[in-house]
Amino acid sequence: MKNDTPLLEVKNLDVRFAVRGGDLTALRGISFSLDKGERLGLVGESGAGKSVAAFSILNLIARPGYIAGGQILLEGKDLAAMSERELRKIRGNRIAMIFQDPMMTLNPVLTIGTQMVEAIKAHRRISTKAARDIALDKLRKVQIPSPEKRLDQYPHELSGGMRQRVIIAIALLLDPEIIVADEPTTALDVTIQAEIMALLLDLCEQENVALMLITHDLGVVSQVTQRMLVMYSGRIIEQGPTREIINDAQHPYTQGLINALPQMGEPGARLFQIPGSMPSLKNVPTGCPFHPRCDFATDQCRQAMPDYVRSGNVDVACYEVSNLIEQEKRMQEAGS
Amino acid sequence: MTTATLSRWNRFRESFLWYSFKRDKVAIASFIVLLLMVFAAVFAPLFAPTNPYDLAQIDIMNSELPPVGMSGADPAFPLGTDAQGRDMLSTILYGTRVSLLIGFGAVVLQAALGILFGLLAGYMGGKVDSILMRIADVQLSFSTLMVAIIVGAVFKASFGNLMFGEIAIYMLIFIIGVAEWPQIARTVRASVLAEKKKEYVDAAKVMGFRTNRIMFRHILPNTLSPIFVIATVQIANAIISEAALSFLGLGMPETQPSLGSLIKSGFDYIQSGSWWITLIPGLVLVVLVLVINLLGDWLRDVMNPRLYKG
Amino acid sequence: MTSPLVEIRGLEKRFDLSGSLLEQITFKGGRFQRKQEAVHAINGVDLQVQRGEALCVVGESGCGKSTVARTVMGLLSPSAGEVHYDGKRIDNLKGRDVLPYRRKMQMIFQNPYASLNPRMTIQQTLEEPIQFHRPELSRDEVRSKVHEVMESVGIDPDWGSRFGHEFSGGQRQRIAIARALAVDPEFIVADEPISALDVSIQAQVLNLLMEAQETRNLTYLFITHDLAVVEHFGTRVAVMYLGRVCELADTKTLFAEPRHPYTQALLSAIPKLEDDRPNYIRLQGEVPTPVNLPSGCVFHGRCPYANDRCRQQIPQLIATDSGTQVACHAVEEGRL
Repeated sequence: MKNDTPLLEVKNLDVRFAVRGGDLTALRGISFSLDKGERLGLVGESGAGKSVAAFSILNLIARPGYIAGGQILLEGKDLAAMSERELRKIRGNRIAMIFQDPMMTLNPVLTIGTQMVEAIKAHRRISTKAARDIALDKLRKVQIPSPEKRLDQYPHELSGGMRQRVIIAIALLLDPEIIVADEPTTALDVTIQAEIMALLLDLCEQENVALMLITHDLGVVSQVTQRMLVMYSGRIIEQGPTREIINDAQHPYTQGLINALPQMGEPGARLFQIPGSMPSLKNVPTGCPFHPRCDFATDQCRQAMPDYVRSGNVDVACYEVSNLIEQEKRMQEAGS
Repeated sequence: MTTATLSRWNRFRESFLWYSFKRDKVAIASFIVLLLMVFAAVFAPLFAPTNPYDLAQIDIMNSELPPVGMSGADPAFPLGTDAQGRDMLSTILYGTRVSLLIGFGAVVLQAALGILFGLLAGYMGGKVDSILMRIADVQLSFSTLMVAIIVGAVFKASFGNLMFGEIAIYMLIFIIGVAEWPQIARTVRASVLAEKKKEYVDAAKVMGFRTNRIMFRHILPNTLSPIFVIATVQIANAIISEAALSFLGLGMPETQPSLGSLIKSGFDYIQSGSWWITLIPGLVLVVLVLVINLLGDWLRDVMNPRLYKG
Repeated sequence: MTSPLVEIRGLEKRFDLSGSLLEQITFKGGRFQRKQEAVHAINGVDLQVQRGEALCVVGESGCGKSTVARTVMGLLSPSAGEVHYDGKRIDNLKGRDVLPYRRKMQMIFQNPYASLNPRMTIQQTLEEPIQFHRPELSRDEVRSKVHEVMESVGIDPDWGSRFGHEFSGGQRQRIAIARALAVDPEFIVADEPISALDVSIQAQVLNLLMEAQETRNLTYLFITHDLAVVEHFGTRVAVMYLGRVCELADTKTLFAEPRHPYTQALLSAIPKLEDDRPNYIRLQGEVPTPVNLPSGCVFHGRCPYANDRCRQQIPQLIATDSGTQVACHAVEEGRL
């Protein structure tokens, strides 16, 4: 493997849903990459397409959804073009997934141990005894109290936080290279969320696993990830190093999201608010999808989707930003 | 959207119901057949060549004439005649009318009882629920037939045969309606249990609305979809129940035949070769029940929220 | 000090788990036993809501905060204790006597997707309470009232003939707020009114609630799990744990100087934008179930400062010199 090819690279991905009255575009021209051991945050509000993006990485889009174009390259091999058989070798093995609801992964009528052993044996030819040992080892890694006991318990006997730990252990079972975590702590209380996030972060660092964290919580993204993507209406509108975006967001939507957080406002004063709400997929506006809610919108924004421009280390799709950059350039040229 | 107000028709045109109906050929065909049959039955006096209830129009000499296309047929009686010389086409039209009337009537009664008891049981819970649902269990453990035999016998004994002929329709509606209300009550109760946990019910309580208002104005409209599905299937069931009762001689008298009593009256003549007296009303009954059931299936598929989202 | 608008005294609420008498009887060890189990949702809560303030009740799931809200509103009847409104006891009122309080006290619910009747248009939803509580108004007066209240929450009054499902989550929550405001209440219980909404919409709804408070001189009892919202919105905060209030303070004081060990842990767990890593006080163990409450202080099993007294004696809320009321033996003894 050459050093400069990223572990996972998504190129120009389009995902559509075939519904009555034509296709809905859920993802439009999504491109990003994930390096080995990197932690990437995917931020957006409901309906932005972040879960679709997560599912499409594993080529898990269920009908009526389908991948309409683009590539998902795992070390150069296109997952979008693979057969079900080949995909099964990758899912759970090289790329693992953690869902918001632990019960999506856990079968309520089987013990934790049975499920973990099954997951290992689906990919590796080893004895049940050996598989059980691996399971036990992973349960220890996620710091579950008395892991031996947990193997023989059923999912409903565990608390929510404990279940999410088991899910993380299951995700780690086959030593994946990538973990995709879709809102892994949204259903949990704050104190438990903090524990789970810290655990996930430590494990990814120790095992050098790349993490793709999908969440709506900017606080969590800022604590856990190195780079982040902001999605709006099926498009990535801003991506770059997390610190840089959090401290100095370029896109008006990202700025709005950050400024609307109660912790950003003066207590008792009005919060910054973005007017309106995200358009449904059925009627995405022309041009930049954010323009009806944007204070800076011009005719240019209403007509065509802006291309990405680079500002610092951040890629932004916004005419306001690109115009500013060009203006600066011109002034510099005039000055020199 | 530009128009702030949409007419009901437009709403319907945009609804999922209409959309899936348009795409379902079976549903469309069933609906057309049902519509034709209901239309023909309702306006039977306009279409029927003769009035089978009018003894003056019946000539015993015309008895057991075969349908057109067979030897000995009389073109005046396209579907032949029965043993009493009544025109089969007319009797079937009138019979379908009686069957449909009993089917709809029984379901209206079932729905009224079922909705009332289901709402009460589901919303009140506790003792009211236990008592009503035990009554429903007891009711279901009697078969419709048993109830019919007992009630029919009581009616016949107390009103005499002549009077009985006049009230038979109401008696059948009553029997079938009372025998099957628990089906609807259970469905309603189940959806009330789900609905009453929703916050709009709490919001209504917080407003201080009285129990009756909350039950009938707020919860009931939200339980109608499953009632609709069940009621459709129950119409078909009621028509079959009526036919079965009439076939056993517990239902409509032969002077006002329903499809069931027509089948029965012809059954005695099958041996003598007059198969059409039984077979044609039988076919009509099968088609009627089939199209109602097909429509019921389609409705269930459309209104089942899990399938709707899937 | 003026008399409080709403006062809760010694409130307790148990939910019976054991079912009917027959289900309670078990045959164990050769003899019949009657076994009764209950969820102890609230165990002795005293709160006073002052006129014009926003009292926030914070806690994690299962702490009883929603039960407090529902008991105050009369949706649940207390197992013990009293609820007073403006000096009059209201929890034991029946039938017509309750009606005047239904107008004065209103509630906003968590889930905007379930709180609007799906078979009623917005117009009907808003008209019904006005007609019910003010039968003296003519149809036109009711209409203009609905018009006014819709405008005040930022919903176009021309949309009255639409149904709830035609609106987005944020709009639905606005409509639910309009319904509560339609009867001109003085006091509003808001049960997690923004937790089901997207970040950018949360700010809109919070602003709307604050606006309504100013223009209509409302008093709020605000239930939430989100401490960041509390810091922004609340006048005072009550932190609940397992059915008891463990700390009660002015918002500023609480955030500047949390005294109870649980409050400290809770505050540390909020993901903050500035943080590079989850940075939190780690609690031991899990939240006990409210079926078998621990003896003494309900928090002792997870508290790093617990001693024998904490395990035996239930701490009461005691005022400290900073004005904060804390239920903690360690704080009382000066150990913390």
